[in-house]
Amino acid sequence: MKLAWMFGSSLGAHHLLWAYLAVWLIQGGYAVWIGSQWMRSKKDSRAGVGFDSETEDS
Amino acid sequence: MTPVTILLVQSAYVRGKIEIVQRSRILGPLGIVWLGITLGVIAYATKLALFVAPTEATMGNVQRIFYYHVPTSMLSLLFPYVNFAASLCYLYWRRRDPLKALTADAVAISSAEVTVVYSTICLATGMLWGRAAWGIWWTWDARLTSMLLLWLLYVSYLMLRKLSSTGQTHTLAAVLSVFAAIDVPIVYMSIQWWRTQHPAPVFGGGADSGIDPSMKPAFWMNVLGWAMWGIFIMILRYALERRRQESEQEAALQAIEASLEIAK
Amino acid sequence: MSYVGHVMTHLRKDLQLEWRSRDSVNGMLFFSLLVVVVFSLAFDPTASMSRQIAGGILWVALLFASITALNQAWTREQRNRVLDAQRMSPAPPSALFLGKALANLLFVAIVEAVLAPLFIVFYNLHALGQGWLFAVVMPLGTWALVCNGTFFAALGLRTRNRELLLPLILFPISIPALLGMMQATTAILTGEFDPGVWIKLLVAYNIAFTTVCLLLFETVLSAE
Repeated sequence: MKLAWMFGSSLGAHHLLWAYLAVWLIQGGYAVWIGSQWMRSKKDSRAGVGFDSETEDS
Repeated sequence: MTPVTILLVQSAYVRGKIEIVQRSRILGPLGIVWLGITLGVIAYATKLALFVAPTEATMGNVQRIFYYHVPTSMLSLLFPYVNFAASLCYLYWRRRDPLKALTADAVAISSAEVTVVYSTICLATGMLWGRAAWGIWWTWDARLTSMLLLWLLYVSYLMLRKLSSTGQTHTLAAVLSVFAAIDVPIVYMSIQWWRTQHPAPVFGGGADSGIDPSMKPAFWMNVLGWAMWGIFIMILRYALERRRQESEQEAALQAIEASLEIAK
Repeated sequence: MSYVGHVMTHLRKDLQLEWRSRDSVNGMLFFSLLVVVVFSLAFDPTASMSRQIAGGILWVALLFASITALNQAWTREQRNRVLDAQRMSPAPPSALFLGKALANLLFVAIVEAVLAPLFIVFYNLHALGQGWLFAVVMPLGTWALVCNGTFFAALGLRTRNRELLLPLILFPISIPALLGMMQATTAILTGEFDPGVWIKLLVAYNIAFTTVCLLLFETVLSAE
């Protein structure tokens, strides 16, 4: 694999690479998911609620 | 809905909203600084783990997974306690102070999700390490089985959250969290006894055997880095949950006011 | 009325309702039988091997059978808004829970009483250990399943996918108890090791979770 030059291309080296990638993918993926949910909720909450004259029929 | 009730709901909502706005003024920049430091620590810790720490004699380089695997496992045992404490707070405040109860609930779901993330990583890295080092993907030894059961418990918590009807979700999830927290020590003990009576192959070393002093810097740096990351990601998730709660409250308020319009 | 009086009333109510239709017990019986047959086809055990696995198969069969019964444990209360009436009555909610759990215990016990001779026949079993311990292990194990099962069935009352949710949340919590029941039963059948530690585990588990269920049932009943 790509970084095999670092540790050789044994099974152990592959699994080391995959393990580290898995960690970054899972942690990073979770953070990205939170970010995407954040963006989505921003759209919803921008529809604000007025408390005073906006709700009364003038 | 009487006018008095409307006023109470509105004032509680405004109170909550002001609270969130005030806190985000401090938390925003602080959060970014924390993230920066955390990423720096993790980068340094990874460098230590991959390049500075000595190569292990028998296993070779695959042992370096240990520097990610063991800190993550240790941390994944902490977040369940946060979830338990938050659920107890939720149950206590549920009738007494609903605003505080919502905060507790947000902490509960954040810590539950982070628990699942960390234990998933623990299981995945453990399996990759086990396969390369000892030739087997899995063994039903005490530690692995307990970790799998912890994972199952908190995934079931998240499923309950997803499948239960809104309005009930918080309370039911808090109750399940209490059950899960009581179950964790029982699970741990029962699996230990099981494996004492019927021994099975064990994924060796790790927490039991001592860590060679030359490995300690890399190990503890990784513990620090991933702990900082865990705190960061939990608070981020907490902020998201609070945001969602806020938009739910807004929607509820709109519904109440719309019904008032019709009633007029 | 005393607390025990309330529990007895609820228990009698559930037994009477079940007696009229006998749906749950019949369903459980047939389901367990099917599970036993399928496992026999899967493993085709010899006499010595069957002693090793019969304990596991028995409790798996009972577990799945109880799920089918527990899923409709509360549907009786939901019809005709009986649950709302229960909430408004001055009787303690935990008495409702306890009565229902005891009723479920009796139903599963009936299934076990029928299943036990079937097991002995299908697997040519005779206990090599202390057979009288079954009288201890069966009630303890059944109560562990039924107590938490009745509670979680109430948890899922107004969720969508109610039938799916019960096994999803019940199984992980019950795993230590399941381990205990299966190991104790295997110990008694094979006589190879001491079931004592597993029986103690079951007792501790039952005490802990019965207490939690009784304390938290009111919270769940009024979760809205």
